[in-house]
Amino acid sequence: MSTLAHSRTGSPASAGEPSLALEGIGKAFGQVKALTRVDLTAYPGEIHFVVGDNGAGKSTTLKILSGMFRPDVGSVRIGGIEVHMRDAAEARQFGIAVVHQDLALVECLDIATNMALGDIPRRGRIMLDRARMERDAAKVLSGLKIRVGSVRTQIGLLSGGERQIVAIARAVRTNLPIILLDEPTAALGVRETAHVGEILDELRAQGKTIICISHDLEFVFRHADRITVMRLGNSVATLMRGSTNRDAVVGMITGTIGAAAESAQE
Amino acid sequence: MTATTRTGEQKGEGSPWLVEILLRPETTLILVIIVIGIVTAIKNPNFLNVGNLTDIARAAVIYFVMACGASLLMIGGGLDFSVGAVFTLGGITAAWLMGIAGIPWPIAIMGGLAAGALAGYANSQVIARLHVPPIIATLGTYFVFTGLCIQITGGQDIVPLPKDFQRLGQGTIMGVPFVVIYAVAIGLVFWFVLERTPFGVEVRAVGGNRKAAAANGLRVGRIETTLYVLGGFTAALAGIIYAARVGSGQVSAGGSGVTLAVVTAALIGGISLLGGLGSITGVAVGAILLSEIDNALIVAAVPPQYNTIIVGVILIAAVAIDHIRRERLYRIRR
Repeated sequence: MSTLAHSRTGSPASAGEPSLALEGIGKAFGQVKALTRVDLTAYPGEIHFVVGDNGAGKSTTLKILSGMFRPDVGSVRIGGIEVHMRDAAEARQFGIAVVHQDLALVECLDIATNMALGDIPRRGRIMLDRARMERDAAKVLSGLKIRVGSVRTQIGLLSGGERQIVAIARAVRTNLPIILLDEPTAALGVRETAHVGEILDELRAQGKTIICISHDLEFVFRHADRITVMRLGNSVATLMRGSTNRDAVVGMITGTIGAAAESAQE
Repeated sequence: MTATTRTGEQKGEGSPWLVEILLRPETTLILVIIVIGIVTAIKNPNFLNVGNLTDIARAAVIYFVMACGASLLMIGGGLDFSVGAVFTLGGITAAWLMGIAGIPWPIAIMGGLAAGALAGYANSQVIARLHVPPIIATLGTYFVFTGLCIQITGGQDIVPLPKDFQRLGQGTIMGVPFVVIYAVAIGLVFWFVLERTPFGVEVRAVGGNRKAAAANGLRVGRIETTLYVLGGFTAALAGIIYAARVGSGQVSAGGSGVTLAVVTAALIGGISLLGGLGSITGVAVGAILLSEIDNALIVAAVPPQYNTIIVGVILIAAVAIDHIRRERLYRIRR
């Protein structure tokens, strides 16, 4: 399996054209400068982690990538073309699926409906195709070996871990080429975390571009191809997993190690 | 078929249909309606006259038509306190166009409906652009629209209205008032929209978790605008039906009492002010219950102050019971 091969060497499966690139992104909210300069280049068939301390700007970066914020300066390129996304719907049109940290699930709706939000199957022009909605959801869930009971179960009845898995399954269902995840394992136990890791590996094997924010360095080092370290609103370095180690990354996150020497040259 | 919609062991589903029916908000309300009916009929058998039951249905129609739009809006997380004024505005506008401007009544009806839709649009814009919370925004527009109605009419009721128009509100077919047929048709349309279209799902999503809806690419602003426009539309429609029924455009037709009655009917019918939950059938039963209470207390010669007391108690009981029911269904914590 190519996944294993390249995860051993730490080199990308297809280091060709980047599928997504942020260049010199800056973003301020009034007086607060959330991002000063963020550069990030992600490739298809890779899991690209973004790590950093609280307040480093990880979530703001992800919200720019998902169309929820617009950058003040800098450019977002998808497939080499500069894009300007105004909302989440447009991000989807550009091929970006997002798993938000708060999961963005509607508690009073069932699993199948939540998984279809934003892309609800229709019968004819105006009718809701509930049967297809439920079939699609069940297919995606069983494909990911996820067991959450009936797809008609209300989200409000699920545990935190189950909700996280449903949110990820929803992103998978869109079958979009770029998947962003914000802290997908924060609320999970050991077994569930491993399951999420398997799903990410599977998506990588399918050639998706995966960008994932995480605090869990063990998880990061188990699944990463590339790691971008952020600090105080800047992307301080992007490292290949094979060419760095945990201590170096921690040093960069906290600022005790300068970044320039470690940074991988693109 | 079932195998494909399941991915694992059963959970939170599969309760027997009888339990499901008993858990529905409508079931409790229907029982209350029957109990009130029996008690009233014992005091005064005239309550069960066809003529009296028709009166109840006629009055319920007005609440129900308005509550269709208002409920969809509430399910979508909104609230419209201006409906009582838009009700008057719709009736007055249509009446003014046909009675004073001399425009043919079918076009005048469309004019009235347009006024209602425009009022709803105004509500949505005050909320979206001026960032005024819905309850305050629509309370403000309630006063504005009430003033407009007086401005249009100079405070005078508009009479007479064309006979053909009045027939729309007063006619019957095989004993069934036309207005009841309108209500059923409108109810079916709203039920279909809510339960059978992607838009209905999106409305529940916006009401259930607005942020999540937006994060999933739903055009939340557009959905909310549509809901306020629909709310204004049904309020005006109810106002026009009322004008046809009474044969005049009355300045005092609507008012705060109508607003409160409509919101009450929706709440009794199981619509959640927190958004996301509720059904059109529930609202229909809520509207019938309100109308039945109005009527029963008159027929049973109960002093009028008991009317409001009873409505208040039923409203609180309905919402409290609904909360307990929901806690069991969704295990809502917090």
